Amino acid sequence: MDRRSFLRNLGMLAGAGSASMALGNIPLRAFSRSFLNIQAVNGKVVVLLQLSGGNDGLNTIIPMEDSLYYNARPSLGIKKEDAIQLNYLTGMHPSLQPLKGLYDDGMVAVVQNVGYESPNRSHFRSTDIWLSASDSNVVIDDGWVGRYLAKVLPDHNPINPEHPLAIQIGSTQSSLLECTCQGTMGISFESPNQFYQLINGSTADNDPPPNTIAGNQLKYIKEVAALSIRYAEIIKEKADLVENIATYPNTRLGRQLAIVAELIAGGLETPVYLTSNGGFDTHANQAGNHANLLSGVAQAIEAFQTDLRLLGIADKVVLMTFSEFGRRVIQNGSGGTDHGTAAPLFVIGRNVYGGVYGTNPDLSDLDNNGDLKYKYDFRQLYATLLTQQLGMPLNRMSDVLQKDFETLPLISENAGTLNGPTAFQLEQNYPNPFNPSTTISYFLRIPQAVKLEVFSTAGDIVTTLVNEYQDVGNYNVQFDGSKYSSGVYFARLDSGAYRKTIKMILVK
Amino acid sequence: MKSGNNFNKISVWDEDAARHILARTLFGYTKQDIEFALSHTLDNFVDNYMLADQPEPSQPGYWVNDPTNENNTERTRELMYWWYNLMLTQGYSLRERMVLFWHNHYVSEVSKVRLAQRMYWQNKLFRDYAMGNIIDLTKAVTIDPAMLIYLDGTRNRKGTPNENYARELLELFTLGIGNYTEQDIQEGARALTGWRVDGITPYFTDSRFDEGTKTFLGQTGEFNHNDVVDIIFTQPAAATYFCRELYREFMHVAIDEPSIETMAQILRENNYELKPVLSTLLKSVMFHTDEVRGAKIKNPIELLIGSMRQFNVESPDYVYMRKVAAQIKQELFAPPNVSGWDGDKVWINTTTLPARNVFTDAVVNGKKPNGSNLTFQIDLVEYARTFSSSEDAVQLIDDISKIFLQFPLSENRREYLLNTLLDGAEVYDWSTSDPLAEDRLKLFFIALMRLSEYQLS
Repeated sequence: MDRRSFLRNLGMLAGAGSASMALGNIPLRAFSRSFLNIQAVNGKVVVLLQLSGGNDGLNTIIPMEDSLYYNARPSLGIKKEDAIQLNYLTGMHPSLQPLKGLYDDGMVAVVQNVGYESPNRSHFRSTDIWLSASDSNVVIDDGWVGRYLAKVLPDHNPINPEHPLAIQIGSTQSSLLECTCQGTMGISFESPNQFYQLINGSTADNDPPPNTIAGNQLKYIKEVAALSIRYAEIIKEKADLVENIATYPNTRLGRQLAIVAELIAGGLETPVYLTSNGGFDTHANQAGNHANLLSGVAQAIEAFQTDLRLLGIADKVVLMTFSEFGRRVIQNGSGGTDHGTAAPLFVIGRNVYGGVYGTNPDLSDLDNNGDLKYKYDFRQLYATLLTQQLGMPLNRMSDVLQKDFETLPLISENAGTLNGPTAFQLEQNYPNPFNPSTTISYFLRIPQAVKLEVFSTAGDIVTTLVNEYQDVGNYNVQFDGSKYSSGVYFARLDSGAYRKTIKMILVK
Repeated sequence: MKSGNNFNKISVWDEDAARHILARTLFGYTKQDIEFALSHTLDNFVDNYMLADQPEPSQPGYWVNDPTNENNTERTRELMYWWYNLMLTQGYSLRERMVLFWHNHYVSEVSKVRLAQRMYWQNKLFRDYAMGNIIDLTKAVTIDPAMLIYLDGTRNRKGTPNENYARELLELFTLGIGNYTEQDIQEGARALTGWRVDGITPYFTDSRFDEGTKTFLGQTGEFNHNDVVDIIFTQPAAATYFCRELYREFMHVAIDEPSIETMAQILRENNYELKPVLSTLLKSVMFHTDEVRGAKIKNPIELLIGSMRQFNVESPDYVYMRKVAAQIKQELFAPPNVSGWDGDKVWINTTTLPARNVFTDAVVNGKKPNGSNLTFQIDLVEYARTFSSSEDAVQLIDDISKIFLQFPLSENRREYLLNTLLDGAEVYDWSTSDPLAEDRLKLFFIALMRLSEYQLS
């Protein structure tokens, strides 16, 4: 049953004023939670966070054991002792501290080296490439989200025409939400209240414009006018149903994400939101500026995730950051960095398998411009969000992204049911008790550096069974106890950020 | 008939042609402006009014020579109001339109440039060269203090180049993507080294200049900043690039490459002097063809200043206008990024369109949406009486529409406006002496300026 028929069954849609939005004497707000479960779409939401200007990936996710990094960035490099350790090889900028708790809870995936073939170092062209999901040498005028919403979504999810398909918080509108087939698929506004007030008093105008250049311009303006009128009311209604519980930083991004949380919790069935944070074009004096930018972003995301949890909607939402490019490996003479290529990005949510995906960038293997080579095509991330979060069938991928891309195992309902580390699983050894040897099995969901050690009850290391970077997969490791005496031993799997221990009993 | 690439001069210089040329070159126009234009020949009007050199306006304040950052927010606002006023009072000159064009081409943002006075001097540069020589302008911009700071030229020094300006010079300012290599950016940056800014003055330091040999756009030598600009303008792509922007500015967004190539040819033949190509364009059959009329979405400044000129408002509420300009996304001296305002459809979205409507409502009501008064009130009855048709409702709507709209009114829209004006009365009952006339005119103007057609130029 969709929400409309639910309301209809209650008689709420019948009369004027919908019984003043109340069931009996109980204000609608009290029911907002139950409405959350009655959505027409699969109820999942993607929140995109655009970091405009080109975020410096190498100073966001730090290759803290790589001397080439420190050689290239004598003054800008983030020292190992300052970095927040994610695993043995990889750290995070200290300003991202607010994300550490989420990372430890297994909610943050860091995907390394995301980019594309033949990178373009122009802000505008590279932004267009990211928004349109085109190849570097192909110009596409609309956005991947717009194409998905127009061409694919209606086939696998019933659309509620009363709710906008996409929302951009802000007063510009991105080509991300455009589809050349239908025009703009989304709306933009600074805040639900302001939007509602602006629209007050507008009337739609249905005169068909002529098919001329001017007529097409007029048609566009009329469409925008009609869209605004159509959605202003429902957005205000949904925003008014719920209040944020977490405290957000008083920044543009903080306010944007607070609005997104309210609208989702209020039951707006919009599957895609676009938020943004500018200023990442750090050509000069980067150190302090970049630290401030990252800490602003991290604080806002942390508040958003807390809010989603408290509002009971954490399992609906996945947030992904992106930026048009990373920056040059070598710092420039102005204490900054120039335009570069591939960079890491974050995918964050309760249903995300947390961890670091991919190795640190290989600074000994740069392109002939001295820039990083990409490992993951950015469209693999789009494919992952579309299929794993929004439920798009795999066979529709090329309708949105022009061709097929391999997805990453990033998002699943199952991830949300796990507590703590999701990057690996360590099984109980078999047999147990054992004599003289036993098998320890573990599964790596993402490639990562792992250490498998056996400890005595006194806490001494008995032996190190594994200490290397390993790929995704199942691993079975033998522990031979013939040299050791009977007793209790502990096997600990440690990826630097995550650890898990099992107890083993050797009985001779 | 296809009129693309037809640069012959139009044969008929009539009211429609005058309305179109005024709409595209000024910020709004009045009935008297149309009459003035038509009292001259097309050649005379374009060459001796639109494109004529203008006297230098007086400075916004003594502070433009102060190198300190005192009162920067105030000064930036003063500068905006000063420029708004020049746009409103410039008569028939194309100059301020071109200054805005250059501001959106050689972009700087006051937030990074930090001093309003640097933005003033850059603005003056754009005014000095508004319809002048593009090569000279580009050389001047290259060592303009605001630009040196905005694109990190002051940090670009021998041994540790900063590519920011070199990249945008090639990508956004002169040639466009595809007409240079990453190598050209790096070598160009070396040739641009050595410049710094002291307060509001640029200066050159030998020891910071990379005097070595550079290979730039296929030429090799010990180039400096002037050489870089000269070499850029030996590339045919430069003229094409500028003419594509001029085409977008004056024609519409439906790019026609052959027409642009013809314009580029004129620009090259005249050694990048702007007046010949502008003069040819503004008189051409291509510019005056029906399909160009009403085909541009007004930028916010056109909307704001234009509405003032249309109503003959002499002392607008510039403070309110600045606030609205920010809402509808064209704050002067604060373009969104180095590529400037995208323009066209990007101006119009579900936030900015309603905000434009709220602004025109406020102009007509004399009240902001919060109920407080504007600094001026328009006497709508008096305004209506400036038209000889003021007592004929049907004719009055047509005459006023010719000032406010470029897009022809459909029968439906005309009827809707008439019904709004009459507000239930019969057409023969219409009179500006009726006690309700003012209220009716209010409703009418609100409806007129809320038409989607009003957003087109």
